[in-house]
Amino acid sequence: MVTPLVRVVGLTKAYYGRPVVSDVSFDIEEGEIFGYIGPNGAGKTTTLKVLAGLITKFEGEVTVAGANVVKNREKAHAMIGFLPQACGFQNWRTVESALDALGALSGVSSELRAKRIPELLERFELSAARKKKVKELSGGMTQKLGLIQALLHEPKLLVLDEPLEGLDPPSRNLLKEILRERQRAGTTVLFSSHILSDVEDIADRVGILNAGRMTTSGSLRELMTAFGLPLEIDVELAVVPERLSFEDLGTVHPRKRGESRIVLPDGTDVDQTIHTIIERTLAAGGRIRAIGLAEPDLDELFAQYVKRGRA
Amino acid sequence: MTFATRLLVRDELIGFAKSKAMLVLWLVLPVLSLLGYFLLPAEAFDRGAGVPPLSATTFMAFVISSISGTVAALLISVDIVSEKNRKVYELYVIRPIRPEAIIWAKFLSVFACVTVGCVCALLIGITADYFRGQPLTGGLIYDAFKANVAMVFVIALATAAGAFIGVISKQIVVAVLLCLYGAQNLAIIPMIPVYFGFPEKFWHVMVIATVITLLIQLGAGVMFRRAQY
Repeated sequence: MVTPLVRVVGLTKAYYGRPVVSDVSFDIEEGEIFGYIGPNGAGKTTTLKVLAGLITKFEGEVTVAGANVVKNREKAHAMIGFLPQACGFQNWRTVESALDALGALSGVSSELRAKRIPELLERFELSAARKKKVKELSGGMTQKLGLIQALLHEPKLLVLDEPLEGLDPPSRNLLKEILRERQRAGTTVLFSSHILSDVEDIADRVGILNAGRMTTSGSLRELMTAFGLPLEIDVELAVVPERLSFEDLGTVHPRKRGESRIVLPDGTDVDQTIHTIIERTLAAGGRIRAIGLAEPDLDELFAQYVKRGRA
Repeated sequence: MTFATRLLVRDELIGFAKSKAMLVLWLVLPVLSLLGYFLLPAEAFDRGAGVPPLSATTFMAFVISSISGTVAALLISVDIVSEKNRKVYELYVIRPIRPEAIIWAKFLSVFACVTVGCVCALLIGITADYFRGQPLTGGLIYDAFKANVAMVFVIALATAAGAFIGVISKQIVVAVLLCLYGAQNLAIIPMIPVYFGFPEKFWHVMVIATVITLLIQLGAGVMFRRAQY
């Protein structure tokens, strides 16, 4: 059996007797992108801070590649790149000097720093600001700088608290692209976000935290099944025949001309239904441009989860 | 000294050297003190018949010995609280270094900067005396040296206390008040044995000051290591 890279077992943290995170357990496999979502105050940041070693007083056990984040702190930290929710740098520093100092403390040699810092600044479109004082940067630029410092030592695990916050759409897309690249190179990513569509875009698995408890984690499709959310098929026809109906297959929601979404009843064989739709369309003289299972809607899933949590 | 501490000390020194606070400490304050010396009436420095009037060197030594501890404590505590509040340390603590290295680096750099500031002030005093034609006697040099050594220990003690106050305080105002009321007064502690009848031995007092400095600084390091973010 493969040991997961991140193992969180029974994590419990309370502030002044008020539990913020209660008995949270989850594993993250190596090379996985794990999205961590939940409403405000659910305990996401606390969990990530425990992993990053910023909170060391808690119950439970948290390990990274077998290294306990409290007892074997330095070993665990050497493997982690962390982006806090609010990134602070010393005001007198320039962008370049901030990265150089943090890179050196992470154990990156001066030769590698000289190579990687300009590369990453270029990638995040911050090259022009490299001599600027950190205090002169905009919120989005500071967030990018925070991301660069987390990536600089090419960690095995990236722990990112709201990494997409404050970034404009092109920068969000760029970050998603970089995270996928890192994943291909074997990096594991744990990130929290409020922007559910972004989580949907990049996460292999999602953990939902509500009121300090995480009882649900899995791929989006697994979560949909667990929550009893219906499966849906999207059909787009290039030629729409006069007599064609899918009403017997499920509830049909017509969209633009030629496009419709079919919500399948529980227990339907999806593959068989898609086959039936194709056969029926061709037999009626129609032509199909696209057909497939609709992507799960994380917003709906999240709403369901929060509703159940409160019930 | 570990690699991380060396690196952090170098960085802190660069940071302080670039800050306006150092310009004030190294140049503006000594010059203002010297101006005060020249602006005060000569009678203010009269020490009675047969005793030469107070020299600029002695005056500067007096001024800096009375403020250097407070300056050091304020400088380090305000710096730590402000960086804590701006979440600067989160990016340092997550690195594979011992967290107390950050506080030791702060201590060493503030101590060095304030000491340099005081030496600058004394040198300005000596230079002023030289140009005024006051001879630098052996006694004067010995007194200046002794005052300097004592001042270095006071600065170290106050810097450690300031670091401790900075680590435990959440607000700058609280840190400032604690420094004003507490840190400077700590300089009295090494003198306590003298008040109980023990002979005043310069080096005994300095050893006690060193031990107390180390204990406070170790305490600050432990508190910083245990801090939750």
